[in-house]
Amino acid sequence: MGASEAELIDDLNRLMAEEAEASMRYFQMRFRLRGRGRETAEKFFAEAIKETLEHAELIAKQIHALGHVPSLQINLSVEGGPMPPEDALGEALDVEQAALEAYQEFLPRVAGHPTLEPFIRQQIAIETEHVQDLQEVLRSFGLKLVAKPVV
Amino acid sequence: MDTWKQFEANELTHSAAHHLLAIHEVGLQYGGWARVSDIARELQITRGSVSINLRALKKRGLVETDAHRLVKLTPEGLQAAKAVMATRAVLKTFFADVLGVPDIQADIDSCKIEHLISHATAERLALFQRFLTSDPDALQQLLARFQRFHAECPQERSCDVCKGHCPLDGLPHAI
Repeated sequence: MGASEAELIDDLNRLMAEEAEASMRYFQMRFRLRGRGRETAEKFFAEAIKETLEHAELIAKQIHALGHVPSLQINLSVEGGPMPPEDALGEALDVEQAALEAYQEFLPRVAGHPTLEPFIRQQIAIETEHVQDLQEVLRSFGLKLVAKPVV
Repeated sequence: MDTWKQFEANELTHSAAHHLLAIHEVGLQYGGWARVSDIARELQITRGSVSINLRALKKRGLVETDAHRLVKLTPEGLQAAKAVMATRAVLKTFFADVLGVPDIQADIDSCKIEHLISHATAERLALFQRFLTSDPDALQQLLARFQRFHAECPQERSCDVCKGHCPLDGLPHAI
C-alpha cells in the first residue's frame, strides 16, 4: 500500500464527489425526459438518485471511520431543455463508467488495507452491475453500444 | 444592445475551451491521448462532469475516443485549442508587457476574456503589438511615457477617453 493516509482521504473525497454530483445530475435530468421510453428512464433515474447518494454516504462513513471529516467539492450547474430518454441514459452510462473507472484506479492504492480494500472491491462489483444494467436498458432502446470491456 | 446575451452563444464556451486545452496539455506526454481521470484532475472537476462534457465535444467533432475511453483532439479540435492558446497569449502579452499588469493577474484576465472577444479583434490586437515591437527603442520610450502618464493621471480627471466620466473614479467600485 503506497499511498499516505492524507492521499487516501483526498481520493475518497473525490470518489464521494463523483457519487454526490451524479445524484444531483440525475435529479435534474429526470425532469428533462420527453418521448418514447420516458417511464423506463424515469424509473432508472429515481433509483439512481437514491443509490448514488447512498454510495456518497458510504464513502463519507469510511472517511469518518478513518478519523476525518468528509470534504465535498462540487462545481455543478445543470440546465438544458427536454431530452430523449436514450440520450439521458447515454449520459448516465458515461457517468457510471467514470465512477467505475475511478473505483478501479483507486483499488491498487488500498491493497492490503483492512477496511478500504473490501469496501472498494464491493463498490466495483456494484458499479460494474450498474454499468451492465444500464447497457441492457440502452439496448432495449435499440441502441448499438460501442464495445467497452467491463473489467 | 443585446451584446451581453451573445456571451453565452459563442461557438466555443469557456468550459469547452478549458476541456480542449486540458486534453492538449495532458495528451502532450502520451501522443495526444488523455485519460478522463487526468483531464478531471487537470480541471479539478469530477470524471462524471468530464465525461458529460466530452459527449458534446465529440458530437461537434472536436474530440475522439477509443475503446478504452482514452480521449484525443481531432484535427479540428487541435485547431480550436491552438486558436484559444493564441488569443490568450496575445491578451496576456498585452496586459503584462504593455499595460504592466502583474503576470498572475494577466494570466487570469486573459483566460476570462479570451472566449469573449472575436478573432478579428484578437488579430487587430496582435497586429498592434507587432507594430509596437517593430521599433524596440520607440517602444521603450512609449512604455516609459505611459508609466509616467499613469502616475500623473489621477490629478487630471478629464480627458477624451470616457467623454467626461473618468473611469478611474468608477473602477474602484466595480464588483
